[in-house]
Parts: sequence; C-alpha cells; structure tokens
Amino acid sequence: MNKGGVGGGSGLGSGGGGGPTAAAAAAAAQKQKTLLQRVDTDIGNIVDNFSLLVNVARVNDPPVRNSQEVFMMEMRAARMVQAADSLLKLVSELKQTAIFSGLASLNDHVEQRTEEFNQQAEKTDRMLARIGEEAAASLKELESHLLFFHTEDKPTPTTLK
Amino acid sequence: MDGNLEISLDKLPIKRLETIEENGLERFPSDVGYDEKRVNLIRRIDFAWAVEREDLSKKQKKSSSSKETTASWPWQSMVENLQSAHHELSVIIDLINTVEANDAVTVAGMTRPKQLPNELLSDLAGSTATKLQCFRHLGKYFKQSAKALEQQVAREARFYGALIRLQQNWKVKRQRVVSSAPGNEGFYIDLFDSSLYEPAAVFRPSSISTIRIEHDPAGMLAVNLPPNSCHSLQFGFLGAQLGNNPRQSGKLKTDCSVEDPSGETKKVPISDDECVKETHSLLRKVHRAIFDEQVFDLVNREAFNPSLGVNVTGIRENYLQLSIGQGASVFISIAPSGQDNKTVDGAGSQNLETALTTFETFDGSKLAEGKHDALKKKLGLPSRRSCEIYMQQIFHEHVFVKAKDRSIPSGRTQLSGQPAKDGQNLLGHFCMALAHRIFSNKVLAELENLVCRVPYVHLIFHPTWHSRTSSWTLSMKIPESILHAGHRRQKSDIHDVKGVKSQFRTKVVVNDDCINVEGEGAPNVASLFKGRSESVCSMNRYDCDLSDLPVILLQQVASQVVHWLHEEALLVGIKANRDFLCLSFELEQGETLSLVAHVDPEDEQGCISWWLVMDDGFTEEQKFHTDISDGVSETRKFLGYLSLDVLYSTLMDLVSLCSGGGSH
Repeated sequence: MNKGGVGGGSGLGSGGGGGPTAAAAAAAAQKQKTLLQRVDTDIGNIVDNFSLLVNVARVNDPPVRNSQEVFMMEMRAARMVQAADSLLKLVSELKQTAIFSGLASLNDHVEQRTEEFNQQAEKTDRMLARIGEEAAASLKELESHLLFFHTEDKPTPTTLK
Repeated sequence: MDGNLEISLDKLPIKRLETIEENGLERFPSDVGYDEKRVNLIRRIDFAWAVEREDLSKKQKKSSSSKETTASWPWQSMVENLQSAHHELSVIIDLINTVEANDAVTVAGMTRPKQLPNELLSDLAGSTATKLQCFRHLGKYFKQSAKALEQQVAREARFYGALIRLQQNWKVKRQRVVSSAPGNEGFYIDLFDSSLYEPAAVFRPSSISTIRIEHDPAGMLAVNLPPNSCHSLQFGFLGAQLGNNPRQSGKLKTDCSVEDPSGETKKVPISDDECVKETHSLLRKVHRAIFDEQVFDLVNREAFNPSLGVNVTGIRENYLQLSIGQGASVFISIAPSGQDNKTVDGAGSQNLETALTTFETFDGSKLAEGKHDALKKKLGLPSRRSCEIYMQQIFHEHVFVKAKDRSIPSGRTQLSGQPAKDGQNLLGHFCMALAHRIFSNKVLAELENLVCRVPYVHLIFHPTWHSRTSSWTLSMKIPESILHAGHRRQKSDIHDVKGVKSQFRTKVVVNDDCINVEGEGAPNVASLFKGRSESVCSMNRYDCDLSDLPVILLQQVASQVVHWLHEEALLVGIKANRDFLCLSFELEQGETLSLVAHVDPEDEQGCISWWLVMDDGFTEEQKFHTDISDGVSETRKFLGYLSLDVLYSTLMDLVSLCSGGGSH
C-alpha cells in the first residue's frame, strides 16, 4: 500500500512537475516529499504503537503497574486510530490533488469528447440534409404521381355547354 | 487491653561512666544505634496479655465445643483469626502512634509479609483478568474505529468517484475557504463558459452558474439547487392562444423526469451510476436554463436596437412582446421551469398534474383541436415549437460561430440562414423569418386554392433551405394523348415537339414578403405596343402583392393555354391570331370566331372559364366582358370550365369549321 501510495504520489508529482517552470517542478517535488513523510510518519506511528501495545501484554506483579499499562495501552490505541485517520485524510488530499492536477488527461478527454460531439453534430447536419433531400425527393415523386393521375384521369369540373 | 497499667522507668539518656582505667582513662558505653535502640524498645512490648487471652478464649471454645459438638460454625476459625489479627494490628498501630508522638522512635519501613502461594496466584489471576479485560476493550475500540474508517473510506470513494466522473464533462472547482458544514470540502461546478463568448459582450454569470456540491447522508455527492432557480425560454404567438400549455407541460414533464440525484426521497435506493446520471441530467438542465437566460438577454438587447422587422409592443419583467408584421405578434419570456429542486415532493407532482389537466382541458376535445388547427391555418402561423427551436439555434450558432469560427466549418451555418453575414441582428432576422413563414403560408394557401380549382395546373414545391425565401412552380403539362399525332411519343420528356411546347411553368418566389412571379407564354407590354402580340418574351418577371397573385397567376396560366392552342392551330395550318387571353380565327366574310379565356379567382367551380365569341365586324367586341350571368347570347357562348382535352377538341372543331368555310 505504501508503494501504491508512493507511486500515485510520484505520478501526480511528476504530472504536476511536468509543468513548464522549474519552480513548479521543485514545488511538486517538495509536496511529494512532504506527502511521503506524512505517510511514513503515520505508518511508523501505527507500527510503533502496536508494538508497544503488544509489549505491555505481560502481567506484572504490582497491580499499580498493570493499571499504568492499561492507561498506556488506551493511549497507544488512540494514537493508532489517529494515525489511521490521518492516513485517510492523506488519501482524500491525494484524490483532491488528482482531481485538480490531472489536467493533461482531462484536457485530452475533453478534446476527444469535443471531437466526438463535433462529429456527431456534423453527422446530424448531414442527416438533416439527407432527410431534407429525401423529403424533397419524396415530395417531388408524390407531385409527379399526382400529375400523372391528373393527366390520365382528366377530372373535368364541367363540360361544354 | 486490661485496666492494669504498668509503668517502667527508663534511665536518663545521659552517658554513664562505665569503667575507669588505671591510667585514668574513662570509658563510656558505646552509643546504641538508632535501629538497635528502636528494636530494644519494641522488644519491651509485652504481648503476654494478648496471648493469654487468646489461650483463654481457645480453651473456652474447646470446652464449649466439647459441650456442643453438634452446633459448629464453619467460619468460626476464620473469624477468630481475623480478630486476633485485628488485635495485633491495633497494638502495633497504637505503638506506632505513641512512638511517633513521643518522637522517640519513628517507623523506618515495614516489609510486607511474604505472601502465600495461593495469594500470589489470586493476585496474578486478578491482574491477568484486568489486563485481558483491557485488551478486550481495546479490541472493541479497534473494531469500532475500523468500521468507522471503512465507512469513511467507502463514502469518500463514492464521493470522489462520482466527482471524477462528473469532472469528465463539467468544470469542477474548489473554494479555498473554511467550509462551515462538516463534510463540505468547498467543491462546486462552474457552468459559465467564458470561452464561448466575446469579451465585449457583457454576459454576466448567471446566479445558477455555480452549483455547490455537497454530501448527502449516504456519503454520495448531492447537488442542491434553490427552488425555481432554473428558468426556461418560452415562445408563443399572441392571439392564437397556442403554445403556452404544451410548453409548460412539456417542461414540467422534463423536470419531473429529472428527480433528485441523491435518491433521498426515493423509496428505492439508486445505484451510484444512476445517481451520477441524474446529476448529469440536472446539470444539463441547469446548463440549458443558463443558455435560455442568455438568449433572452440577447433578445432583450437586440429588441431595443433599431432594426428592420423588430417592433416592441410590450415589455414586462422577464417578458417581451414583439410585433413581427403580417398581423402577428409573438412573445418571448423567461419563466421558472418548475420542479428543479432537489427534493421531489408531492406538491411538484400535483403541479404537474394540474398543468396537464389544464392542458388536457384546454386542448382535450377534438372540437377545440379542430378550431385551433383551423385558426392556426387561417392565420398562417408556423409551428410554435419549431420557431422556438429556430430562435435558440440561430442565437446559439451566432455565439458559437463568433467564438469558435476557427474550428467550425462554414457549411454548418447554411441551414440556419445567414443572419451573421448580412450584418442584421439576429432578432430582426428571426422576426423577418417568422413574418416570411406566415406570409409564405398565406401564399401557399392561395396557390393551393387556385390549383384545386384548375385541374390541369399542378403545384410543385421547391425547397430553398433558406429561412426567408420560398419557391413554388405552377406547372401545366399538355397530356401526351393530345400532342400532335405525327410526333407523339410515349413517356417522352422532351418539352418541345416541333416547336409546340408541352409544358409550361410559372415560378412564384417569395423573398420575405415580396412575391415575384416568373412565367412564360404571356405577352409583354412592349410587344403589345408594337402591335404584334405574337412577339412575346420567353420569360416575364414581375412583382405583385398577395391580393393580386391569384389573378396574375390565372392570367399567366390562361395565356399559356391560349399560346399552346395557338401553336397547335398553326401546326395544323390554320391561321389564328392570339391576343393575350383570346385566340381568334377568321371565317369567311370577315367574321371572326374567338375562343376567349375568362379568369375569376372567386369562382368556386373553376377559375378559368372559356367563352366562344363571334364577331361579325359590326357587333361591338366585348372580349373582356366579365359578366357571365348570361351564358348564351347571339355573339358569345359560354363553353364552361374546359379541360385541355376538351379545349383541344374545341380547337380542332374550330379548325374544321375554318377549313370548311375555306378561310385558309
């Protein structure tokens, strides 16, 4: 999981650091380093506190020491949960960074969608033009049929007096 | 303790000389250490009384137990042990207090007596149980925390997954402010597209351009819109009472179909995909509402710029009334769409039902529909919905083309007309297009009315694909059966058969509200002045208005028929004179027999009737006498509404008559 987080962070960092300026690259590297430190800190907290928790599992003779250890165990557990919550917040920050940093891929996607919509619009225009042409052709054919029937049947309203 | 009190006197704490040596050296006893002194004092405590007492009680108990062997309490020994321990402790405590009060000796420490194995094991068991309980408590705590974190992870996965999917199509932004509500990270969607519009154009961002993204109780993203925030563009014709209800009911239907995206009020929980789709639909609806608002804003701006075709006759809040000519007025307004709120409650559906009921009541009966259709046809009003779409389309293309003309091919704008090219504002072009549509419908009604009553004339429609130009052709085709016998061809497309035209066309073109008639066969005025009516231009073009159109067209058709009859007569070798609507044959003794066409657009039986006029040179010619009440007279005879076949037969009869009379 650490590696995945690091990979994601490094990818994001490199994406953000791929900007045109060295300052942006340096800022991205610094941010990546900070995030990695936070990850290491939180993981270390969890591991250390859990180790201490296991170490005080031994039952000592003086009851007062056991009571002390009970309080310490509760404290260690709380720290572990706090570290886990901090990791969760870190993941949220990474996701937010991904939302607002992955602009290259987003731009590509937008351009692709724009191209698709343009093609769809052109296709619709062609379809409309074709529909118009077909409607005109159908109308012309219908009119020619009417002309044929009128010419052949010769309906005459009145006759010669 | 007993009441007896023994008192012992200690020696004064002074150093007493122990020995003197021969040399006079004095020796004193060595100093007693503090601990040794204390131990000595403790040893002086006499516990005999306590022990004797205990022995006495034990003896008494034994004697009593020997006496009462059957009445023994199992806990008696423990009670006695506790009592003795209590006694010993009391003594010790008293001693300690006495010693400390006297400040003679202090207690340095007390060692715990060595515990018995069972006591050790019980203490260990207690400690173990306590620690186990602590671990169990920690386990529960970890489970609860894990469950909460899992829920949080799932919520965030749903939220960000949906947000990333929305970002594919919409602009997602974030406000860098402290969110007041928990779980609100400040995300919002910006629907205002600044790239589409010119910098000079003042397009203020709409109030609904920014839409906040929030969390619903299930963790999914939710889009909240204030009630009645979305407005839709409405268009209609005044005076026809058409268009409002269908639009509103249609809009309400659309709104109701887009229900709340988070599925809060839905009884059946919806999936994430459906939620995202509904959010997309809602955002699209808002996007369209923003576009409608901007179109209305543009319409308002252009309405008050002086332009041809635009005449503002009424204005209210979010309402504009225009007179477009041709006796028609339109209104353009912005009205709330209806149910665009997140919560879809019963009130919304009730409003929909009310609107639908109103619409159905208003337009439910066939009689009402028939009246509306008839009125609409009479007024020549085009489809309200098509006009609304056209208005939106030309404004959209105008904006789109102006902003992105570098990427859009020019061919795409052909269908919408050319409002941007000729510099006319869009609203003026739209109004003129509407006026043209109304006028062309009236022209078409006249043409249809005319064609219905003239069987040998047919109406052909020519699509111009231009919003302000319409074109028709009145075609008259000579039947193949009556073409000249020597040159008959079946299914021939050749128009000219030895100089005799078999098909005549009259083209009617309407540009805006100008009618242009272009026809063949009619003599032009110049030829008439020259005295030779046979010399005609092949094509005549002239403008006219709607009231004169039927007469002009009928005259055109009748002249074409006369022209054809004249050609046929010449073909068979008969000399005939043609004069606009009259074909004259010379008989013997200077008599003239004329076949005269009479046109009357108001005649229900037929618009073109034929008369046979005999002119013997002495009777006043009344070729264009329009009184047909008397069909029979000495000089003229009403022949009726003849078809081309009958006309041809009549011509042949006249030719025979002329031939028999030796006129040729």
